Amino acid sequence: MVVIRLFNEAFSTRFRPIGLTLMLAGLLIWLGLVAASASLGSFNMNLAEVWQTVIGNAPSAQHELVVWEFRLPRTLVAGLVGALFALSGAMLQNLTRNSLADPSLVGISQGAALAVVTMVIVFPEVSGYWREVSAFAGSLLVALAIRVVAGKGNSLKFILMGIGMAALVSAITSAMLTYGDIDRAMSALAWLAGSINSATWSDVKILSVATAALLILYLVQARSMSPMSLGHEASVGLGVNINMLATTQLVTSVLAAALATAVVGPLGFVGLLAPHITRTMVKTGPANFLLLTALNGALLVLFADLVGRTLFAPVQIAAGLLTSLIGAPFFIWLMLSRKSQL
Amino acid sequence: MTSTAQPHSASKLAYSSLGLLIGLAVLIVFFVWHISVGAKSLEFSTVLQALFQYDDSQFSHMIVRELRMPRALIALVVGASLSVAGALMQGVTRNPLADPGLLGLMSGAALAAVLAVTYIGMHTMAWLPLIAAMGALLSALLVWLVASAAPGGATPLSLTLSGAAISGFIGAIISIIHLLNQDTFESLRGWLVGSLSGRDLQELYWSLPWMIVGLVGAVVLAPSVTALAMGDESAAGLGINVVKRKAQLLICVVILTASSVALAGPLGFIGLVIPHVVRMFMGSDYRWIVPYSAIFGAAYLLGIDVLARLLMRPQEIATGLLTAIVGAPLLIYLVRVRIK
Repeated sequence: MVVIRLFNEAFSTRFRPIGLTLMLAGLLIWLGLVAASASLGSFNMNLAEVWQTVIGNAPSAQHELVVWEFRLPRTLVAGLVGALFALSGAMLQNLTRNSLADPSLVGISQGAALAVVTMVIVFPEVSGYWREVSAFAGSLLVALAIRVVAGKGNSLKFILMGIGMAALVSAITSAMLTYGDIDRAMSALAWLAGSINSATWSDVKILSVATAALLILYLVQARSMSPMSLGHEASVGLGVNINMLATTQLVTSVLAAALATAVVGPLGFVGLLAPHITRTMVKTGPANFLLLTALNGALLVLFADLVGRTLFAPVQIAAGLLTSLIGAPFFIWLMLSRKSQL
Repeated sequence: MTSTAQPHSASKLAYSSLGLLIGLAVLIVFFVWHISVGAKSLEFSTVLQALFQYDDSQFSHMIVRELRMPRALIALVVGASLSVAGALMQGVTRNPLADPGLLGLMSGAALAAVLAVTYIGMHTMAWLPLIAAMGALLSALLVWLVASAAPGGATPLSLTLSGAAISGFIGAIISIIHLLNQDTFESLRGWLVGSLSGRDLQELYWSLPWMIVGLVGAVVLAPSVTALAMGDESAAGLGINVVKRKAQLLICVVILTASSVALAGPLGFIGLVIPHVVRMFMGSDYRWIVPYSAIFGAAYLLGIDVLARLLMRPQEIATGLLTAIVGAPLLIYLVRVRIK
């Protein structure tokens, strides 16, 4: 058992050996998937060639182009957005005490999508960082709207209202696309399906900085996540400032989902799947849980992207479609295995 | 017809009939308005002339008869069918959230149609309503099975959640079929978001008989829906064979939904919105709710389709998007107010 205590126990967490082992195993699988993802595709190369290219002795200019310009950024972006969606889902589930919560299911990602599409169509000349900023604003608005209309009460009502909200927001988004210029609309359409194929190094930069910063924010909140999962009264009794915590949890959850959506569009069900996979794997402290969940999300999306672009090559199946195919039956299974009444 | 029907009181009968007449008048106005709107705006009088004193030497008469009337007729029958389907579902299942789209029937019908067009290479519309009906029936049963297996049984909440999950799953499958068959799919793309454009009368002829069967069935069965809405026990006590009647009603709902989807694609939320609006005025007597839903549903879809063509001229918004923009807030409201 490794216990970390920092800042006069404001931050403290424990890692069970099995949790650490699983993290190590997860990282190794991730490396394996990265290697596979870099070598597989319409331009096939073996692992040795990939390695040569990565360390700077590319066998040909083509190898260099394919690995450095297409496959590596795509692979890294897949992992990063997976981690972000997973973290967002874990936090949302903790905040709403609802194991069915997922940022793409309740409309938070769709809010980001609407904001970005609106920006692209209304202010096509403005782009760059504004994309992330408007994504955050859009999803925060949707999250606040759901919180206001859902009020207190049955947590499943929250999900159902979120589904209604998602339907509304994505219908408005599609209507906006009708208005826009056809070329811009077409590129937005590919993005809305949750496709990672246009990832660039600048996406990698933004996302890795954001993921690192958010991971710290999440780990700081980790300690208060356990009392939160016991219920509001219990958390107050244990000394948690519940209003402040609920606000920071909502904002960090929305931030992660919005950043990921701004780059790849709404990827369904990752935020639902990853925390549950972690829970079935190991019972552990919240910090370890968050790290493992981020890792699981990364593996999930990377795997979905790899399968999606190789299974029916040359046709590329957007990763978001594959995560929906896995996620929807999983959602049903979760629904059926709940102990309380629906 | 059945013993559940109470005699109408005279004032109620007059009030309800008057409402029905007003509804019909609104429907006719919307129908003419729908035809008059377009790239070339037409006078109401021109539209009426084209409908009743057709003169094939006049270009505007040709526009009305060949291009615009088919679309208006399709909006009319689809709006009526989907609203009646929604009304029946809400009554029989006592579920305020019941709607052919929300409970998965539409995505099932759409998947069946997509499979038939893409993999069987079906180019005629003749069998499409029937194939779509198979899909709708299967997905309806699947949604119901999943919801019944959930703890607490098939409550409005579990039904809607299972409908959403199954619709999401089917939607992903449809998208993948789309990606794998880009060429054959081009014609289906507009149809899949729910659109009324580019249909011709021939397609209407293939769906119309089914819709008439479904609508007549709904009117005939309406009195027992009133009884079923009070609970299965009460209905059985009133001498209704509950299982048989529910099966008949399910067939009506499936036929109405599937033939609508075959014609216009999955137009969401119409079956949710209209019955709720109608019930606000008409109370709980399905002998009136069914015809009111048919007339106001038809007028509603005509109106929405006019807006779809007016809001962003010269572009046209897919009609299904507008029905969702109107219907989704109602869903949120209903969940907030009607679900405990």
